[in-house]
This record gives sequence, structure tokens and C-alpha cells, in this order.
Amino acid sequence: MAGKSGREINATPQNTLKKSILSWEGILVIIFLAVLVLCRILSPNYTLNNVLREMPKYLSEIFLFFPMAYILMLGEIDISVGSIVCLSATAGCLASNAGTPFPLVILIMLLVGGLCGVVNGLIITRFPELPSMIVTLGTQIIFRGIAEIVLGNGGSVSVTDSASFRAISKRVGPFPYMFFLVVICAVVFVIVSVKMKFGRELMAIGSNRRTSLYSGIKVKATIFKAYVIMGVFSGLAALFLTAASYGANTTTGDGFEMDAIAMAVFGGIATTGGKGKMIGGIIAAFIIVCLRIGLGQINMNSQLILLIIGILLIAAVILPNISASFKAAKKKKSQA
Amino acid sequence: MSEYVLELKGITKIFPGVKALNKVHFQLLPGEVHALMGENGAGKSTFIKVITGVHKAEEGEMFLNGEKVDFKGPKDAAAAGIAAVYQHPTSYPDLTVTENIFMNHEIKKKGVLQWKEMNKKAQEYLDELDAGFKSTAEMGTLSVAEQQMVEIAKAVSTNAQIIILDEPTAALTANESQKLYTIVDKLRDDGKSIIFISHRFEDMYRLATRVTVFRDSQYIGTYDVDKITNADLIKAMVGREISDMYPKTEITPGEEVFRIEKASRTGYFKDVSLSVKAGEIVGLTGLVGAGRTEVMEAVCGITKLEEGKVFLQGKEVNIKNPTDSRDLGIVLLPEDRQKTGLILSWGLGRNVTLPILKKFIKKNGFIDEKAERETAKKFLEDVDTKAISVFDLGSSLSGGNQQKVVVAKALAQDQMKVVIMDEPTKGVDVGAKAEIYAIMDDLAKQGYGIIMISSEMPEILGMADRIYVMCNGRITGELNRNEATQEVILELSMEKSDKGAEV
Repeated sequence: MAGKSGREINATPQNTLKKSILSWEGILVIIFLAVLVLCRILSPNYTLNNVLREMPKYLSEIFLFFPMAYILMLGEIDISVGSIVCLSATAGCLASNAGTPFPLVILIMLLVGGLCGVVNGLIITRFPELPSMIVTLGTQIIFRGIAEIVLGNGGSVSVTDSASFRAISKRVGPFPYMFFLVVICAVVFVIVSVKMKFGRELMAIGSNRRTSLYSGIKVKATIFKAYVIMGVFSGLAALFLTAASYGANTTTGDGFEMDAIAMAVFGGIATTGGKGKMIGGIIAAFIIVCLRIGLGQINMNSQLILLIIGILLIAAVILPNISASFKAAKKKKSQA
Repeated sequence: MSEYVLELKGITKIFPGVKALNKVHFQLLPGEVHALMGENGAGKSTFIKVITGVHKAEEGEMFLNGEKVDFKGPKDAAAAGIAAVYQHPTSYPDLTVTENIFMNHEIKKKGVLQWKEMNKKAQEYLDELDAGFKSTAEMGTLSVAEQQMVEIAKAVSTNAQIIILDEPTAALTANESQKLYTIVDKLRDDGKSIIFISHRFEDMYRLATRVTVFRDSQYIGTYDVDKITNADLIKAMVGREISDMYPKTEITPGEEVFRIEKASRTGYFKDVSLSVKAGEIVGLTGLVGAGRTEVMEAVCGITKLEEGKVFLQGKEVNIKNPTDSRDLGIVLLPEDRQKTGLILSWGLGRNVTLPILKKFIKKNGFIDEKAERETAKKFLEDVDTKAISVFDLGSSLSGGNQQKVVVAKALAQDQMKVVIMDEPTKGVDVGAKAEIYAIMDDLAKQGYGIIMISSEMPEILGMADRIYVMCNGRITGELNRNEATQEVILELSMEKSDKGAEV
């Protein structure tokens, strides 16, 4: 080849232990441990058993977090998921009360969620000039609106076949079934994001959509898929939520989208796309859940808990920036 | 009083870890146009920033009309009558031309802004520059060339005596450049002194009487433009002799690999037909906005082709999206490397393998990252990228090296048959340019069909075997290497509306 000067380009990765501890994920692990220690000191009831017992209440938000992280990595957002949860839960409860066999009820919930995802995905990929924030704000209102119409005057529905739903919240030892599913999903979502083509292309699209397009990546198809996954997982979250509350009402899933986004952002996944790691988001999700359980145990009121989580979130967004400028300053010093 | 309006002696500017300027000198005569040249990273921009008070030099002295000055900031420089106009105007697109011109030195009476007067004055400045737009126009609606005129008008309005033009022609078409030349002539005749930074030799020959060259942060010399040869000047800039800027090998083209027939897209181009043979470099030129890029983007499925056929190796192909185009082996290297060519926040390796990820998927569905890195390494070395590792970020490279990475990314696609390079050397300095031409020549020798979209006459004449000229969305001429001259091409690119009917 012309111009070849025999210059060698290094292709061996250099990962040091120090680097991984100093990464945001490393810091999150430390925060996680600190939260556990703190809660243990504050509350004598903060034992593994008790924490696991209370966990199912919060796990459905983690299910929403997984696909939400993908959507944020793409540089998009979905704030309709709380409403999808509501619509899907409503559909499930009504279907169950109408005598539908339970496996079919599960399928209906996932299907309703998936369908909502299809709607979001179609609008967003067909009209790329519309920001996904606005599109999903619209569908947020629409999906919950449909649920409200279906629920009618009472605004709520309780399941009569509570036995089937109760079966879902069963445990193996101290571990709820749901916990295992969360672990499996976590592993799958991490692996897909770091090891597989879909994950790589996701990050490429989030980092630079035009370059991805020019590189032949199917940008629209990928975005569409992410929204459908989001929808299906909303259906899944709805299933577990219903299993815990034996019913649905007009406020079911309200604000869940913000919890899911908060977990991702706290975990270092930027809403601008192309940044962050799945693993960071997962640690962050567990930090938030464990902190909530701990603060709940010492009877801290829920508004105050929200306040603390809000502060944590803002700190999470600011801290990396501060540490980056520290690093830059240090670099300057060492070079000078 | 000194003979110079502006004189800088022994200027040294240190950034953490690097000497951006090392004892450089500069002397500007009254009423002269002085070119400042050098490769990217030679220190030109830093030097300008020292003059305009943005940076403070660690060492050295600066004299204005023989008096020593010490600028504390850009305001001091502006007050002393120094104004700079940049390649990409740093203006407020949502404000009017008048507002832009009088920003920071508005005409006020008792604290009330005198818009009428300002509009009138602004219009006078514009008329003087022969600008064809109103002072009440919104800045954002103007072309880059027009925005530059506004910046120049702004410089004039502050009564600046020294005007610095930083690569003003880089974003302009040939026509617009001509107009800019006239403006610069006029400013000079009005007694202003002008510092002109450019990569284009034509700019320098047309405008400057003297040229100062920087290289590697150092002052190399100041020469009279009419006394220095092109080769000597390049040597001064690059530090070595470039024996052959355009290393075009004579080839005998093979079979036709790619043909476009009667391609149309309403509002962009009409009835465009062209073809390229194996081993052939086909130039596609014309003015910016003639529809060259638009044709290729439509053909590659980025936008839509409304009419027309595309043939690859004699077979008609149907390209619906860029994925089809990639899989068929038609690779477009876009003009804007930073926005559409590379992911700057990614390592070079992953940039190179982005279009060919499929190749590295193992049986278990995972990406074989080791094989991926080795492939990237091979292609990055093939194009001689100046990088330390495949993990270096795209943003860490200079324009020329970014272009090489984009080429590596294309080369890694082994199904590639046709390479479409859109302005392959835009913003690339002279040393890297020669390397990119060498790579192009090499690609041709390997039998790829190459289409080069370019506005730069020398590279079209120097590298293309065959040249298509476009104007107003139509192909207005096809020339062989031996019949092409600058004049013929210009004439074809500017054909008036009697032939180039409505698109």
C-alpha cells in the first residue's frame, strides 16, 4: 500500500485495576456498600431476609430500567412507560376477571405493552423530526386515557383470580421469583450491550446517528426494536405489579418512567445518548431500591426519601463533570 | 514611527505541555495583504489569537505603529483597531445583519438604541462591499459567504485598521471566492492592512504580496509572493520536498463497474448519467450546490432516487437504503468526516469495523473483539494513520488523519467495488493531501472504481481520468483528462439558465 511507512499501531487493550476502580461504576459499587452499611446502622431490621421480602415492591421499576437504558443510549427517551404499565395492568385484570386462563392473561399483558411500544416506535421512526420526548408525552396521556376510559367510573379493578397472581409473588427461600428474573434480565441486557452487534450499533446510533446511517446501520429498525422491547417489559412490570396489588387503577405505574430514567442516569447513562454502561445502571438501580427499603424501615416519610433520591441524582450528574475537570487540571499540571 | 503597522517579535506561547509558538516573528506593512501559511497545527491560529488578545504570550513583544502594546484581552485589541473574521462566522443567526454588525458598539442616544440609523449605516457598509442583501435580513438566512461579508462589514464598522481573515475561502465556492478577492482588494485600497490565512495557494497568489510561513510552531520565513516558487513554498511549509503532489499513474481502465442512468430527484438534480470503470478515477465537479453530493447520497440510499437506474457490474441494482448500498459494495465517504464519517468519541478501531461488524460475530453471537482489533489495526496501518493505538479517539486526530481513518473504514469492507469520495481533501493540509492522493491512486491500481466529488480544480485536473461537470442539477459536460482545463471546467460549471433548464 502506498504511503506505508511501517508504522505500528497498538491493538492490545490496557485495562488496569486502578482504572476500573476509578471509573463511575467503581464509585457506584462503593456507594452501594456505603448505603448498605448506613442502612444497617440506622435500622436493626435491615437484614438480607427483610430486604429481599420488601424488594418485590420495587423490582417492577427495575424491569422498566433495562430497556429504558437502551433507549437512552440511543439518544431517545420514553416517558410513556408508566401509562403503558397502567394500560397493560388494566387489560390483564379485566381479561382475568372475564375468565381468561392465566397464561393467556400474561400473554395479553405483554402483548398490550408490546403494542404500545409498536405505536411509539412507529411514530418516532416515521417522523424523525418529532422529538421522542414529545411523542411519548402524547402517548403517555393517550395510553393512560384509554385505561381510564376502560376502567370507567370506579377508576379501579380488582382481580378475582388472586390465587394465580399470588403464585407469581412466591419465593424460593428468601428470594422472590421475580428476583431471579431480574438477575437473568440483567445478565442478558449487559451481555447484549457489550458483546453483541445490537448493543454496539445502539451505542453507535446514540453517539452519532448520521455516521451510523452512512455506515449502513439500520438506524430506524434499531430504534423501533428498542421501543418494542420497552413496551413488552412494561407489560412484564405490569404483571408483577398486579401480582403485588391484585388489581389496577388509574394511578397504576404513575411516575415509573421517571424512576427508570433516574436509575439509568444515576448509573452514568447520559440522556444525550452513546454514553454509559448497563452495569452502572444496574448497580444504581439496586442502590436506589436498597436505600428506599432502608429509609422506609426507619419510617422516614416517603416525600423525604424522594428528596434524598433527587439530591443523589443531581449529584450523580454533576460529579462526573467535576471529576473530569479535576482530571484535566491534574493533566495540565503534570504536563507543565 | 515604525515602518510596520504591526510587528511581533519573539512571541512564545506555551500551552500545558506544548509550545504552541516558539519565538515567532511577524511584520505587517501598512496597506499590504500578508498571507500566513503553514500546515494544520503549525501555530497560525494561536498566533492570531495572540494578536487579537485572546491568548497572552509568555514571551515576546508586540508593536502597533511602533508603539509597544500589551493586550489584556480581546477588547483591548478591538479598541486598538484589530478585527478578525473567521472561517465559520461566529455570529448570532437569529438576529438581523444590523444587530450583528453593531453588536457591542451600538449607536445609542441617551441609552436608547438608534435602530433606524444603525440600519442605514449597516446598509451603507454592505453596499460598499457590493453585498446583494439587506441589512434587515436575518443572519441565519444568509449563505456562509454572505455571513462573512457581514463580519467584514462589522470589522469596517469598528474602523479596524488591521483585519485578519482566517481561512475565509475554505467554505466558499469559486464564484464567492472571486467576490471575496474583490472585497479584500478594496479594503487594501482603503488603506487597511490585511492578514490572510489560507490553505489555498490560489488565494495567496491572487491576493498577497508577501507570505509568512510557520511550521511546527516556529517561524520559517517571510517571502515575496512573486519571488518564491510553489515547490519552495511547499517545502517551507512541510519541511520536506513533495516531489509529486498528484501521483497519478496512467492506467488502462477495465470493465465498467458502476453506472447511473438518468437519475432524477425533484428540486435537486435531473437526468444525471455517469459511469466509472474499474481502475478509473472519475472526477465530479461543479460549484457547491450544483447537486453533486445530492446525486451520490440519493444513489446510496441516504435520500431517495425518484427516477433513474443504477447498474453495478452491468447488473441493475435496487438500493433502498444505505445498508443495501454498503452490502452491494458502493461505499460513500462523506464530505463531513466529523459529523458523518466518524464517531469522534469512539476509538479508531471501532470506527473502522462499524460497517463490517457482521464479519466478527462468533458462533455464540458475540463479537470477536480480538479479531476486530486486528482487522482495524491492519487497515489503519495500511493507510498509515498517525495514531498510537486503535483505542485513540477519533477526535484526537487531525483532519487529514481522520480522512485516512474514513478510507480505512471503506477499505475494510471487502465487498467494496466502488468508492465515492466527497471532497476527500477538504480542510486537509498539504502534506496529508499528497498522502491521500497516493492512497487514491493505489485504490485505482487495485481495480476499484473511484468517483471523486471535488470543488478543487487542481486536484480534479491532477487526479481524475475523466471529469463530469455539474451545474444546476444537471451534467453539463464530460471531459477526458487531456482535454480538461481550468477554463473549460469553469465555463461548464457556470453555464447560464438558457441551457440548464428547471430541475
